[in-house]
Amino acid sequence: MAEASLRRFQPSASNPWNRVKAAHLLNRAGFGGTPEEITRLASMRFEAAVEHVLSYEQIQDSAFQEVDFSELRQMYAELIQLRRGRAGEQTVRRLAQQTNRANRLKFQELRVNWLGRMIQTKRPLQEKMALFWHGHLVSGLPETRVAEHMALQIDLFRRMGTGNFKDLILAISRDPAMLSYLDNNTNRKGKPNENYARELLELFTMGIGNYTEEDVKEAARAFTGWTFAGSEFVFRRNQHDEGVKTFLGRTGSWDGTDIINIIFEQPATARFLPRKLWEFFAYLSPEEALLEDLGGIFRRSNWEIKPVLRTMFLAEAFYSERSLRTQIKSPAQLVVGAVRMTGADVPEQALVRSMDLMGQVLLYPPNVGGWPKGHGWVNTASILIRYNFSGLLLSGGMPGLRQARAIPARVDHLIDAGKVRTAGDVIQQLVERFIQEPLEGKRRWGLLRAFGTNHEDTPWTLDGARSQEQLRSAVHLIMSMPEFQLV
Amino acid sequence: MTRREFVKKGLTMIAVGATAPSFITRTALAMNNPWDVTQVTSRSGSPDDRILVVVQMGGGNDGLNSIVPFTNDAYYRARPNLAVPQKDVIRLNDDLGFHPSLAKVKELYDKGAMAVVQGVGYPNPSRSHFKSMEIWHTADPEGRVVRYGWIGRYFDSKCPVCEQPTAGVNVGQSMPLAMQAENGMGVSVENPEAFQWMSAFNGIGAREEQELFRLLNAPAPNEPGTIDFLRHTAMNAYVSSEKVRDSVRAYKGGIEYPNTRFAASMQLIAQMISGKLPTKVYYAHMTGFDTHANQRGAHENLMEQLADGVAAFYKDLEAQGNADRAVVLAFSEFGRRVAENGSGGTDHGTAAPMFVFGQALKGGLYGQQPSLTDLSDGDLRHAIDFRSVYATILDRWLGADPQKILGHNFDRIPFI
Repeated sequence: MAEASLRRFQPSASNPWNRVKAAHLLNRAGFGGTPEEITRLASMRFEAAVEHVLSYEQIQDSAFQEVDFSELRQMYAELIQLRRGRAGEQTVRRLAQQTNRANRLKFQELRVNWLGRMIQTKRPLQEKMALFWHGHLVSGLPETRVAEHMALQIDLFRRMGTGNFKDLILAISRDPAMLSYLDNNTNRKGKPNENYARELLELFTMGIGNYTEEDVKEAARAFTGWTFAGSEFVFRRNQHDEGVKTFLGRTGSWDGTDIINIIFEQPATARFLPRKLWEFFAYLSPEEALLEDLGGIFRRSNWEIKPVLRTMFLAEAFYSERSLRTQIKSPAQLVVGAVRMTGADVPEQALVRSMDLMGQVLLYPPNVGGWPKGHGWVNTASILIRYNFSGLLLSGGMPGLRQARAIPARVDHLIDAGKVRTAGDVIQQLVERFIQEPLEGKRRWGLLRAFGTNHEDTPWTLDGARSQEQLRSAVHLIMSMPEFQLV
Repeated sequence: MTRREFVKKGLTMIAVGATAPSFITRTALAMNNPWDVTQVTSRSGSPDDRILVVVQMGGGNDGLNSIVPFTNDAYYRARPNLAVPQKDVIRLNDDLGFHPSLAKVKELYDKGAMAVVQGVGYPNPSRSHFKSMEIWHTADPEGRVVRYGWIGRYFDSKCPVCEQPTAGVNVGQSMPLAMQAENGMGVSVENPEAFQWMSAFNGIGAREEQELFRLLNAPAPNEPGTIDFLRHTAMNAYVSSEKVRDSVRAYKGGIEYPNTRFAASMQLIAQMISGKLPTKVYYAHMTGFDTHANQRGAHENLMEQLADGVAAFYKDLEAQGNADRAVVLAFSEFGRRVAENGSGGTDHGTAAPMFVFGQALKGGLYGQQPSLTDLSDGDLRHAIDFRSVYATILDRWLGADPQKILGHNFDRIPFI
């Protein structure tokens, strides 16, 4: 696409703001929606629709049950007491084991809680951004051991996810989950630990090739003494290296905040995050000119994220051929999206487990580089798991997952039975719900065969067991199509 | 259509004709099909049933604490807290010894079935996990844009993957770049039980659904890249899933494996080997080597996982009568800094040893332990390029031409 730029999309008679584009915005800036939600967004003015999705603070969200850590906190406190006191080794070990177990359960509860929130939220972009940050400023098991630290971090992402990037980098540099994930909690004067400093430069802010090994070592010295106690950031002056450091050509007795300030003076920083955002929301390998412009907006807004997102969601390129339905769904997108588009009632425990099988273990990212992207999500193993996932919605079970229940779930609510006269009608409705774009003739014909016919106009109504079976098979087959893997 | 094109596009195109599916599984992919991988992969003179198992030690394995220079003062000076005490080392010679947790593979070493290649690395080493891993996977330290992996290029040089997806089998959740080939994409398996497409519960019936599945997933000409990729992956999965599950079902077992994820991967590979899956290269993953803090226990544990997993694997293959068919190659993206840090750990380093296992080897130590005093930025200097190890395996084990695959004729190391 030669003209790739951030030019604003101008709806016109020949290229209108329509259901396909509204579905695209809902999918990318969130986890997709039902046909009704798509209709509602498509009926708004384009700019108003973007603003509706983007300025989610104005939407009153449901009250979510927070994970309660009070009991676990109590156990940790007791454990510290016991260790300080004269308790026997056995007593301490027993409580330590209990605490570990309780902490593990809290991790699981938190994973389930987050997935539930992705499904139910009225502010999908907030959770989508939290997921983005979880994959960008990565922390998690096994290095982050305390569940409550992860809860606080995800909450930080909710609060600051579309705010100021520089503020967020400072906040994450002081975040207990991150401090333990990348070992900065033991980064001390004299024998620095380079882990956090390196990834801050390489993965979080600038990208490889924009600093030297010496810069990594000097930045590590600057972050010495940045640690935490309980769930609070602590700066330990006696562990901090007050000496002079030279970082990216600037010399002074820098500490971590200075390092961050210097990072945000670098040209590379302006383009780095916009690329990640564009790749997450629009498409991979964006045009350099586009990133240049986006970087300019980012810098001029003094590192505010929302103006970057707004420009993206308003851009012609965001609704171009390169972008529409070209992204392979992440497991979160697949699972949350499927539940949102069908309203299925499946225990969230099972949904989280299905995501694990697909390779996205929430709060346990594969490494500090975060989740795979694009083709990286799909191989022969994961594609069958992704296809079989419909079993969870249709019967409560899938291979690799212990059957929670093996009862056929309702499917009749997936179609508007009153408007169905023919096999073609029912397929039309299913395709609109699940694929959200017209289907090629041959594949449509394949679906017709599930309804026992070769013809669009064969009469079909939803009555009797046979039609339920046909509907069930059709849904399963649609969810076992490459088309369903894309948004 | 050439045979190459036919097998690349053809297998899956045949599937479009809903009447043909049984033909695919019966003929094209049957064990005795005319393009059976074992008949096309090696140059004459090399036995065709040889297998390579690549083990990735992700995160940067601490080479110095794996093969310990236990008489070197510089080692003990640099690592006051982390050095393996001299008395605990399993001695290989007067200067070097195994980490004690490698005990189980010492037996293999003593039988001449393990080679340690020391001081392996590449020029201008990257200390980024991702960059360095990419370099090891593509065998391209110069950073040209290489889209395919070194194993993938081996596949391409003979085209076994495109004819037979199970020629390359990755055990794990993501397909390594090393296995990416231009022609075809190999197979990833994690849980054989889940490696099958299920039909709907209370639907129109399995037989009919399977037929429609093929119709809906069959590749078609001129489709956009991503959807084409998905269709090919789906059909590859569909046609290999039964073979993989069959091969696993034939497994007799009886060998005890440790209860670790890595051992489970090695056991699954042993199962597939016992089931005569026509696979040339398997790939298994270990993670957790990025030991910046509290390294002692963690690294001990990793060494034990590696040693016990590999030892059980060879015991199993021996019981099957397949032990001489498989070479295991274990690598990591880099070693670690000579000096320990203040967290009881080590930061990213450079050169490190590689481990090679197999009855067909000339076992022992190869190369030199890098100097602990003549360092480059606090890190070890490499003496052997990792591509020499690849070249040795490609040439002397897989019977392929390393120059064609690696772009340069690297020295061989005489462990085979």
